[in-house]
Amino acid sequence: MAQEELVTIEINGIELQVPKGEMIIESAKRIGVDIPFFCYHPRLGKGQAANCRMCLVEAGTKQPDGSVRMMPKPQTSCTLPASQGLVVFTDTVAIQKARRGILEFLLINHPLDCPICDRGGECPLQNNTLFYGPAVSRFIEEKRHLPKAFPLSDYVVLDRERCIHCARCTRFSQEISGDAQLEFLKRGADMMVSTFQDTEFTSRFSGNTIELCPVGALTSRAYRFRARPWDMKSQKSICTRCSNGCNIWLDYRPNRLVRVLGRENEAVNEEWTCDRGKFGHEYISSDRRLLSPLIRRDGKFVTASWVEAYHLIASHLRQAVAEHGAQSVGAIGGAHLSNEEAYLLQKLMRVAVGTNNIDHRLERNQVAGGDTLLARLGVPFTQNAIADIERAKTLFILGADLVDEQPIVFLRARKAWFRFGANVIIAHPEVTETELRFDEPVILRYREGTEKTLIHGLLYLVLQSGKAVTSALPSEELQSLQASLSAYTPSRVSQETGVAESVLRETADLLGEGTLVLCAGRVRNHPEYAELVGALVNLTLLTGNGARENGGLNILLPEVNSHGAADMGVLPDMLPGYVRVSDTTARQRMEKLWETALPAEPGLNTQAMLESAAEGHLQVLYVVGEDIAHKYHDPDLARRALENAGFVVVQDLFLTETAQYADVVLPAASVAEKEGTFTNTERRVQRFWKAFNAPSPEVKPDLNIFAELAVYLGKPLPVFSAEQLMEEIGQAFPAYAHCCYDQLPPEGVRWQTTSLGEEE
Amino acid sequence: MSEAIRLSEYPRLRRLDEKQPPELRFSERAVQELEHIKRHYPNKRAALLPALWIAQREYGGYLPPEALMEVAYRLGTSYAVVEGVATFYTMYNKRPVGRVMLEVCTNLTCSICGGYEILRHLEEKLGIKVGETTPDGQFTLVEVECLNDCGNAPVMQVGNRYFGRLTPEKVDALLEELKNSDAHTVVQLADTIVQCHLMESERQDIERALAKAQAMNEEQDG
Amino acid sequence: MAELKVLFKDIDVPGIERLEVYEQHGGYSALRKALGMTRQQVIDEVKASGLRGRGGAGFPAWIKWNGIPKDESQPHYVQCNADEGEPGTFKDRELMLRHPHQLIEGIIIAGYAILSKVGYIYIRGEYTEPARVMRRAIDEAYRAGYLGKNILGSGVDFDLYIHMGAGSYECGEESAMMSSIMGERGQPRLKFPHAPLPTIAGLWNCPTLINNVETLSCVPAIIRNGGAWYASMGTEKSTGTKIFSVSGHVNKPGNYEVEMGTPLMELLELAGGVKGKLKAVIPGGSSVPILPAEKCDVNLDYESLQSAGTMLGSGGFMVLNDTVCIVKFMRRTAAFYAHESCGKCTPCREGTRWMVKIFDRILAGGGRMEDIDLLLDICDQIDGRSYCGLGDAAAWPIRASIQHYRHEYEYYIKHGRSMVEVEGKAVA
Ligand SMILES: Cc1cc2nc3c(=O)[nH]c(=O)nc-3n(C[C@H](O)[C@H](O)[C@H](O)COP(=O)(O)O)c2cc1C
Ligand code: SF4
Ligand code: FES
Repeated sequence: MAQEELVTIEINGIELQVPKGEMIIESAKRIGVDIPFFCYHPRLGKGQAANCRMCLVEAGTKQPDGSVRMMPKPQTSCTLPASQGLVVFTDTVAIQKARRGILEFLLINHPLDCPICDRGGECPLQNNTLFYGPAVSRFIEEKRHLPKAFPLSDYVVLDRERCIHCARCTRFSQEISGDAQLEFLKRGADMMVSTFQDTEFTSRFSGNTIELCPVGALTSRAYRFRARPWDMKSQKSICTRCSNGCNIWLDYRPNRLVRVLGRENEAVNEEWTCDRGKFGHEYISSDRRLLSPLIRRDGKFVTASWVEAYHLIASHLRQAVAEHGAQSVGAIGGAHLSNEEAYLLQKLMRVAVGTNNIDHRLERNQVAGGDTLLARLGVPFTQNAIADIERAKTLFILGADLVDEQPIVFLRARKAWFRFGANVIIAHPEVTETELRFDEPVILRYREGTEKTLIHGLLYLVLQSGKAVTSALPSEELQSLQASLSAYTPSRVSQETGVAESVLRETADLLGEGTLVLCAGRVRNHPEYAELVGALVNLTLLTGNGARENGGLNILLPEVNSHGAADMGVLPDMLPGYVRVSDTTARQRMEKLWETALPAEPGLNTQAMLESAAEGHLQVLYVVGEDIAHKYHDPDLARRALENAGFVVVQDLFLTETAQYADVVLPAASVAEKEGTFTNTERRVQRFWKAFNAPSPEVKPDLNIFAELAVYLGKPLPVFSAEQLMEEIGQAFPAYAHCCYDQLPPEGVRWQTTSLGEEE
Repeated sequence: MSEAIRLSEYPRLRRLDEKQPPELRFSERAVQELEHIKRHYPNKRAALLPALWIAQREYGGYLPPEALMEVAYRLGTSYAVVEGVATFYTMYNKRPVGRVMLEVCTNLTCSICGGYEILRHLEEKLGIKVGETTPDGQFTLVEVECLNDCGNAPVMQVGNRYFGRLTPEKVDALLEELKNSDAHTVVQLADTIVQCHLMESERQDIERALAKAQAMNEEQDG
Repeated sequence: MAELKVLFKDIDVPGIERLEVYEQHGGYSALRKALGMTRQQVIDEVKASGLRGRGGAGFPAWIKWNGIPKDESQPHYVQCNADEGEPGTFKDRELMLRHPHQLIEGIIIAGYAILSKVGYIYIRGEYTEPARVMRRAIDEAYRAGYLGKNILGSGVDFDLYIHMGAGSYECGEESAMMSSIMGERGQPRLKFPHAPLPTIAGLWNCPTLINNVETLSCVPAIIRNGGAWYASMGTEKSTGTKIFSVSGHVNKPGNYEVEMGTPLMELLELAGGVKGKLKAVIPGGSSVPILPAEKCDVNLDYESLQSAGTMLGSGGFMVLNDTVCIVKFMRRTAAFYAHESCGKCTPCREGTRWMVKIFDRILAGGGRMEDIDLLLDICDQIDGRSYCGLGDAAAWPIRASIQHYRHEYEYYIKHGRSMVEVEGKAVA
């Protein structure tokens, strides 16, 4: 990137250098000059901004002779770009008067119901009035009256009397989330923000408007009257609701979560959250949390001590291994554990129990962790960082409704189109919410299940166009590919997929360097996963995106730590760092680190474990943090497995459907009650911190549970803290060496895939 | 917690499914007109104002929610955005109005040249207040800002025509005339404005296309 | 004293709104001439004429024309402002209604000069009669090859579209008009230095020339007779002629085209003289400060009116006699701006509505003496604080009315009724 031009400006007599075109309101911050504002927001386009007029300043320009020519009117600093010789005064008598005027205007129709307003205490209107406002109002007329506390949705409440028309919420819904569900109706003093005909506000990102609103006009239904800001503490955390890894604040009162706010991380969520993340953490402070271990005695659960529980589990494990071999034991789970816990879980199973029967995947596709991509692109799942999406020339969204499946990735994709004009191709069998968020994207409405044909068809055209980077493939591979593709003529592909030939060609024309492919569930679980991904890899390589920042292939993951669990080796065929258990040298390295022998043959994956359990072969089934009876892609199989397994241990926050089948239930701590790291779908390792104590002293972090269980199994795996465990992980998987807590930067780090290369 | 801030008073809001196309009621002519007007601009969203004029004609003189939804769908914008535009401009009727609208200017010149007298006279004559519609649905009486024909103050707009230098007598005569003519209606105003957008060649294309379509229908029938 | 007719030269010719008649009177010869000149030569003629914007701001036309980039890397647009909404103004109405081809010719010439292939005439929704005339005239021009592809075989293309408004004074403001043409709420857009000038980034962020109907109607005559000829009329800084829309208490209201610098009183005579006793005039549309009778000894040009404490504005020349109650008149003015405020920025949105409420209280007999200074202060708080000129325009008339007629306000507040009514001749 060309480095930006600097200009010299003057603010209140202080000379400073700032990037040309920077908004003065930002420049002022650099020298600690506070300019009050309401409508300004750095992430919202300035096109519709500058309506509150609170940020007025006096400005002029230095003339060659050194004199200053002042502009006749005060200017809004939120939209005034820095230019050479600009002179700004932010605190003149005139400006002070203007600010008083603006605030008086804003308050004449404001209900001033601060005592019962959730914004009270963190309200820009209160604060600006305190510092810049008039002492008294001269308004003696009748204020406007509008319905109060109007519920726009299950999440958002609107109070039109409080609105100051800053247009932040409407701009967000039109520029950022793109659903444009909020707009101003009428004009002048009658203007009011509204959804269409007062229908429900169904945006997936509605929660952000609550945080953007500079007054209490948009408030949270969940947080309503629950606390005053100053009664709360905040802790940095990571959202657990999907694999995007949004940074969030947990606002809490003693041992109770009160609300979730977005936390800035330019690399991931900027500052946004989706509604699932913002309103989906109530479970943490639910009254239905497990408060102590449970043991099943003649059909019923009775509370038990940890000692009893551990003894019982350990004895069953020992017995099973002694009588039926380590293969008769299996563990499922990990996608919701921290990296440290996931690592310790697989170590427990491999070292203390001696089996590779361990897997974190609940979806249909359980082919060995990220195989094809790893082999051919050198990455397990995703080639690009979330922020890279902004720079893509063309986005190819294949079989994914991003808005729903990968909300924050969606916001970047939309930004790429809205701000930076990227082309958008959306391939999906059905109309998706995502495609409605772009103006006339290229839509490939293919028939269910014909993804592979579709991609082959596009490959055919790309090769035909002559723009393909053929050097990216070894010549014999290329030849065999060309041979196999010859059948995929546009006409045939069009017939099979139902996508018009013209659309296929239009799409192929857009593919090239800077094409960034985004896939999710449909591709992950495709019946022909390997072939489909193979084709996608070919497309990626032949369009010259094998190793690009603004292009590449990305198969986005389902759960908060799906990626971390795979990295940590919660896989039947791979040790930490994607090392095959069958790879002797690598295994020996790990045996040395762990000072023990390791089983050499791959274990059973989730599906196989459940099948063997269903047939009554599995003696002990250990389910960690996954409600498989409910969430497994084949719930019946899961239920039969739970019924017929010899002995079932379930470790969770709740007495889930799965737990109902358990012989022992272990109460685990939530993300707010422990510390650790998650690895999001772009391989970014991010920390979360403990906010408050678990609901009962009998509730333990999974880390402690695994460690203690190991002791009862006579194979202690001494751990003192997640931090210390991360150092061991760094040795087991060098890519994580930079993730020691003292080195981990605030925005986290994407671990380097180069170290993977060395392994192979 | 005070009465005012209880949520329970409000019914649950209706949920719209964006993926479900709304019911489309534009006539073939209207569709053709919109298609042509769209080409006047680099993007279809810019055709929003004319599209609303078409809708106001098609939906009988005002814009019910369905009309806004149809326009939004045809131009690929959100419902809320269309409602925002429709409610910004005063000439789009958001509520049903009479067959004919009497829009009396009471702005500066008119205010000192008898605009208010004309307004009062009409209120008495029609037995309604400003903003109301006569029970027989004939007339809606409105007070408007400057119509910019101040040289003929006091002025009144009736559909696609201005009437100036008004006196109570003139107004009475005019009312009689309007009662038994179908000129200057609300719908006609909308149509006039739509036609003003269309170039001669476009109007001809539309007629041709419609004639063709009709011919084909007749073939199918007989 | 007579009128000096440039724009109105042929306006009384029967059928001048029809192409063949217009051609018989030299119509489109200016376009032919312009097509024979280089684009810069056309712009230089406009420069020589000293023509200034007739929409209200009085900005030199040629500077805008010359500000349009000289390359065609982007489409360029002509945006003709035919939204005429300024109370008291009805000149554009007559220019379109009776002399459409003059305007069309002016627009085509402008389009040629700035390398534009597309123009929009933004006509307010209420103006259906002028719009229909324009429609017919444009169709005629297309048929005759003055519009469309390869105009008169010159290889120049130009398409002209009509875009109708739908009821909003604010859409007369050039950037709000851009929003309206682009299908948005009629709210203004950021202005220089916060954003590039429309001549660089206007409609769809492309170079756009925005001129008023009267301004563009002047162009054919200027090209035909030369800029110097036009500049020879009027004063040094305010060249040419200006149409004043005279309305209110005069015997012959209507549009009068006079040379810039004509004494105000002469215009009054042209309009048949004042009905009753002159109290004040508002020379440039509702937005400009009121001019009391005793100050009416002034010439009609930008500079003279400026120094008289008011403005030439749009030429909406409203005449008030002594039956007019200033308090009520200004209440109506305030109500207009409150009704038309787009609502975007705080001072204009809240301030205009607040002033109306104060006026209503005063008119209802509930006034307080401090309300007068409160009104003045609100004017100060709106003036220059808002996005576009509407806020300023809402403040100026009120402020001026208090400066000149404070006693009427005080009387109304003290006695709860109008001073004028007491004298028994109130009309408003
Ligand atoms: C509130 C407001 C209303 C305006 N209304 C009109 C109008 O109705 N007609 C017009 O020509 N200009 C109007 N203007 C002036 C335009 O913004 C713009 O200056 C003018 O169209 C430029 O054309 P000109 O340079 O030929 O005068 C208005 C300005 C403001 C601030
Ligand atoms: S409108 Fe406003 S805050 Fe809003 S930001 Fe500016 S002037 Fe500044
Ligand atoms: S004031 Fe009524 S038309 Fe101008």
